[in-house]
Amino acid sequence: MSWKLKFLKKSVWVFHVNTGACNNCDIEVVDLLTPKFDVERFGIKLVGSPRHADALLVTGVVTKQALPRLIEVYRQTPKPCVVFAIGACACGTGIFQRGYHVAGPVDKVIKEEDPNAIIAYVPGCPPKPEAMISGVVKALSVL
Amino acid sequence: MEVMNNIFWILIFPGFLFTVAVGLVVSWVVRKVTALVQWRVGPPVLQPLYDILKLTGKEILIPQQANRTVFIFAPIVGMAGVLLLSTMLWHITIWQSQYVGDVIVAIYLMVLPSLALILGSSASASPHAALGTSREMKLVMSYELPLVLALIVVIIKSGGELSLAALASQAPIASISGFLAFFVSLLCIQAKLGFVPFDIAESETEIASGVLIEYSGVLLAIWKIMQAMMLVALPLFLVMVFLGGFGTTGASFAGGIGKYLLVVVLIILIKNTNPRVRIDQAMKFFWVFCGLALAIAVVLAMLGNTYDISWL
Amino acid sequence: MDIHELNAKLESLKDKLISIDKTTDKRIYLTCESANSFDLCRFLYEDTDCRFVIATVIDSDNYFEILYHFAYDQLGLVITVKSLIRDKDKPSTESIATFLPAAEWIEREMHDVAGIEFKNHPDMRRLILADDWPDGVYPLRKEFKK
Repeated sequence: MSWKLKFLKKSVWVFHVNTGACNNCDIEVVDLLTPKFDVERFGIKLVGSPRHADALLVTGVVTKQALPRLIEVYRQTPKPCVVFAIGACACGTGIFQRGYHVAGPVDKVIKEEDPNAIIAYVPGCPPKPEAMISGVVKALSVL
Repeated sequence: MEVMNNIFWILIFPGFLFTVAVGLVVSWVVRKVTALVQWRVGPPVLQPLYDILKLTGKEILIPQQANRTVFIFAPIVGMAGVLLLSTMLWHITIWQSQYVGDVIVAIYLMVLPSLALILGSSASASPHAALGTSREMKLVMSYELPLVLALIVVIIKSGGELSLAALASQAPIASISGFLAFFVSLLCIQAKLGFVPFDIAESETEIASGVLIEYSGVLLAIWKIMQAMMLVALPLFLVMVFLGGFGTTGASFAGGIGKYLLVVVLIILIKNTNPRVRIDQAMKFFWVFCGLALAIAVVLAMLGNTYDISWL
Repeated sequence: MDIHELNAKLESLKDKLISIDKTTDKRIYLTCESANSFDLCRFLYEDTDCRFVIATVIDSDNYFEILYHFAYDQLGLVITVKSLIRDKDKPSTESIATFLPAAEWIEREMHDVAGIEFKNHPDMRRLILADDWPDGVYPLRKEFKK
């Protein structure tokens, strides 16, 4: 297992999942992947399919409608993988705490599906791209 | 002894290990030059190797309705085709071996990776992959004919030689028909490698990775290795056929490396300065524009051959 | 049309309205009962040059209020028709999507969250609530408790 994680740290392919966000965090995630911040030097690349991904960038509080879709995307990501909860809503439901459409923050939903999931939190509303890079690098260094 | 020789050639030099190593370095060069063109830094040297090793550590997920045998064997068939092609081309370059019709074998082997891609993605049982399959099939049907016609131009100019070693001793690019044929076949190679402007099949943002959408783990690693090996074999083919081959001694070896790098840089620059085209635009381009250009080139080549004018 | 013609046209509707409020220079509220809202909206959309912007619904203490916002771009005004639905058990009103296709989706959303029934709506289906949300539970009503 350790050699798999060793190479996972050097080459992280990310897939972006929006589970009912206001799109603010999505704009920042897409901003992060532009040439200005150059995440390719860390080996980070955006891929179009969850089956190619090592890290899921999940934004948004998980709505009831998005819940089965998020579980399906998580199951289609080959393990070992890391789930990054981006933004205040994903980390802990943010301002939608007692909303009627909320199915729980990302860690509660993912842990029900897979208790051994690796989840990292990048809070902020929205987090700056520099904060996201710092969060990804810190998470990879403690794997 | 013969068997040991063959195994050494296929597996180590100039076969699997050598091609994969050079392929990974060249794919790093592509990513680094792309990064520099975009005013950023780009990945470290070993990044393609890290990608492959990371992919071998991930689990393989096969969709339930996929055809398992074809799904698993398609990348292996593709890689075997490119491996054979690369070994053959390097063998001809270094040891000047030849046999009748090796040009035909080279063309046949060059189709195998595209065919494997079509088979693998159609076995994936996914609507995105089906879309990618249909686009890749249309693309292959469009660029194979211009590639063969360009080769025919070169064969006409050389007076009917059908072996690569003999073709490699001439440089047809120094003539009008040769230059047209080189330009067209460069774009066909761009389409075969799956680079912009012709990366329609694996277009990432349009159809969620198209042909390779359901692949993961070791199988995806084999696809990536195959694409890296194609970066070694296909520009080498262009160098041998159009630019006068790859020498084995001193100055001509350095010249050969220079020619190879020139082709690779041309591919990278075309990749970085063009948007992706639609499949119908690509088909129209290959059938109409390239077809016309090559028709003119064939006529000029035949005229040049009959009347012995070398610059036509 | 300038402001005086607009005022004259609004005066002609006086019998259908409860009140006309000009809260600021650019905002006019026309309060009416739910039975008259269809005619008022049709008048604003077809007989003046107003553009439909959006509709909103709120559960007040004694009635449901549906606000239809229309923009009059030549003068930069927003004219709002405030329609009061007195029946809180089975609120219903005439759908304006019959002549205004742009209102189709917002009426579907108002039906989903507050349970207003829109008569003669061309295509009443669930819009924003989750697929497994139970029927008959309307989240934006005051009596809804999570």
